Amino acid sequence: MGADPDEELVRRVGAGDPAAVQAMVARKLPRILALANRMLGDAAEAEDVAQETFVRIWRHASGWRQGHARFDTWIHRVALNLCYDRLRRRREWTTDELPKVADAAPLPDAMPGDEARRISQALQRIAPRQREAIVLVYYQELSNIEAAGAMQVSVDALESLLARGRRALQAMLAGDDGDD
Amino acid sequence: MDARRFAALADAYGGALHRWPAAEQAAASSFADSEEGRAILARAGRLDALLDRHRVEAPSLALHGAIVARAASEVRHVRSRRFWWLGFGLAGVGLAGAVAGLALVMVVTPDAASDHYVMDANATSFGDAGPDADQAEEDL
Repeated sequence: MGADPDEELVRRVGAGDPAAVQAMVARKLPRILALANRMLGDAAEAEDVAQETFVRIWRHASGWRQGHARFDTWIHRVALNLCYDRLRRRREWTTDELPKVADAAPLPDAMPGDEARRISQALQRIAPRQREAIVLVYYQELSNIEAAGAMQVSVDALESLLARGRRALQAMLAGDDGDD
Repeated sequence: MDARRFAALADAYGGALHRWPAAEQAAASSFADSEEGRAILARAGRLDALLDRHRVEAPSLALHGAIVARAASEVRHVRSRRFWWLGFGLAGVGLAGAVAGLALVMVVTPDAASDHYVMDANATSFGDAGPDADQAEEDL
């Protein structure tokens, strides 16, 4: 693992440098907000997760030392944990367990302009771990090793989650784009 | 790289090679030029095109401002807490030094009580050598 590109910025944040705080928010907020949006499918909850993630950044910046993970991978893990807290709370009325399989029934056809919402719904209907893998690798563009690290799984397990998630999405969105 | 591995990678990572594992991109790039490779990538690329339509809102200025505002108090709180722990640490070191010094004094010096013992002027190492004692011996 090479040098962490965020290390110097994190050090300055920990020292209380206001310019570094601004730079950190500008650099990481769009990524964290997008991650939470796609994991939760709810803009308000995603904003809450983004704020809580940054509170943890501010609290840990002065003591941050690069270990096995880069800073960016660490904040992805923090944000994902916060997302899972919220997903569990949503399901507390039925079960503590998150579903491990996708609901692969095709979604209804979308009106033009509703495609983004339809894809968002499809993402919410696949198993959370599959969604997490796709969000990290496809949308956040983490490398396979970084994504596997953030998910605390092997690269083989990551590839399996990705493939199953993409197949489930393909099945749900087949009305738009069936190709198999 | 064979077609099976190439297809497995496309199933997992999609049709854009830059998302594929770095260690396999060079081999995949060669295979991608084949007819079979192009077909596999085209199939994966159709789902990619759908996923690309899912865009999310950029952060609002209000959210950005709220996060920055929270930073000042959080960082200050952490730093002041560290300052207090440093103070407790220094106090602890001082206390430990005092205890160690006291222990050293007790080991090096004799029992404090002997310093205050006032030897009887009539006493010798052979016992009480005062006039009464002599008289007692003469009476025997």
